[in-house]
Amino acid sequence: MPKQIPWWAGGIAMSLLFYFSFSIWGADRSIGASTGMAYISTMLFGLDSSHYEYTKEIESSGAWEALMLLGVFFGGLFTSLFITKSFHISLIPTLWKERKNKSVPSRMFWSFIGGFLLVFGARLAGGCNAGHVLSGGSQMAISGFIFTILALGTGMLVGRVFYKKKKACDV
Amino acid sequence: MFDIIAKEEHGSILTILVIGFFFGAIILYSRLDKFEKMAGFLLFEDTLAIRMAMTTVGLSSIGFYFLVANGYASFDVKPTLLGGLIIGAVLFGTGLVILGKCPAAFFVSVSEGRIDALVGVIGGMVGGAVFTYFYPYIQKIMEPNFGKIRLPDFFTEYGMVITVVFGVLLLVGAYLLPSLEYKDPADFKNSKD
Repeated sequence: MPKQIPWWAGGIAMSLLFYFSFSIWGADRSIGASTGMAYISTMLFGLDSSHYEYTKEIESSGAWEALMLLGVFFGGLFTSLFITKSFHISLIPTLWKERKNKSVPSRMFWSFIGGFLLVFGARLAGGCNAGHVLSGGSQMAISGFIFTILALGTGMLVGRVFYKKKKACDV
Repeated sequence: MFDIIAKEEHGSILTILVIGFFFGAIILYSRLDKFEKMAGFLLFEDTLAIRMAMTTVGLSSIGFYFLVANGYASFDVKPTLLGGLIIGAVLFGTGLVILGKCPAAFFVSVSEGRIDALVGVIGGMVGGAVFTYFYPYIQKIMEPNFGKIRLPDFFTEYGMVITVVFGVLLLVGAYLLPSLEYKDPADFKNSKD
C-alpha cells in the first residue's frame, strides 16, 4: 500500500464522502467539525443547555458533529496503524523545528494558544475549515468565501511574522 | 448526546460514525493532519492542502447543485454574521498557522500519536468553554446578520452556469498550481523500504 495518496485522489475521495453526507441517502447535512468541538467542551466543563444559551443553540448540530469526530479519531487511528503505519509518539513537527525552535515547552505553549484561537475563532465565525471552507465553499455560501479569504490571508501574514525566514540556501 | 441525535433526521448513529471514520481516514491518508501540510501551505512550503481543498470544493459544488436540483439534498448554508465572521476568521487564521492543523484534523493528528496536537485539542476545549460562557456578551459584536446568502442568489436565473464555471475554475486552478512538497524526514524514519 502506498504511504500517501496524491492531492487529486484525496480531493476526489473527499468529495465522494461529501456527496454521501450531503444527500438524503447519507445524513442530509454538510460536514462540520468546530460545533462538535464546542459541544464536547460544554459537556466536559458542565455548561448545560438549561443555563447556557449557546449550549442550547448548538446542541443538535453539536451532538451530530461530536459523534462524527469520534469516528474521525478512529478513522485516523486505523489508517495510521494499518495503512500508512505512521503511528508514533511525537512532540514537535519537523517544520516547526526548522522555522521556529526545538523547545518542547515552547511548542506545547503555542499549541495550546493555537488550539484556543482555532476553536474560539471558529465559534465566532460560525464554522471552521470543514464547515466554512469546504462545505460552505461547495454551496457557494458568501459566509464561506469571506471566511476562507480572511482566515488564509491572516494565516499567511501571521506566518511571515511568527516564523523565521526560510534559509537562503533552500530557495 | 445520543438522544439528541436520535431525534434529528440526519442519519443513524452508525451512518454518522462511518462518515466520521472515512473523513478521518482520508485526512490521514492524504497527510492533511500534518503541521507540514497545513502550516506548510501558509508558509508556501507545500501545496497539497490547497490543491486538495480546491478539488473537493470544485467537484462538490457541481455535485451538490445537481443533488439539490433533483431533490436529493437541500442547501444548508451558514448565515453571514459579518462581525463574527471577520474577527473569528482572523483569530482562526492565526491559530491555524501556529497549531498547523484545523479542528477535525487535530483529532486525526492525536490518533497518530502527536502530543502537540493533543495540547491543541485541550486548548480548543478551553476556547469552546470560554466562548460558551461569555456568549451573551460576545453575541453583540457578531452582528450585522445578512442571513443565509449564496453567490447564485444574486444571479438566480444563471444558477447552473455559475456553479459549473465556479467548479471548473477551481479544478483547473488546482491542476495548474505548482507541486510543492515538503519532504519530512520523520515520515521515513520508521519505514523499512
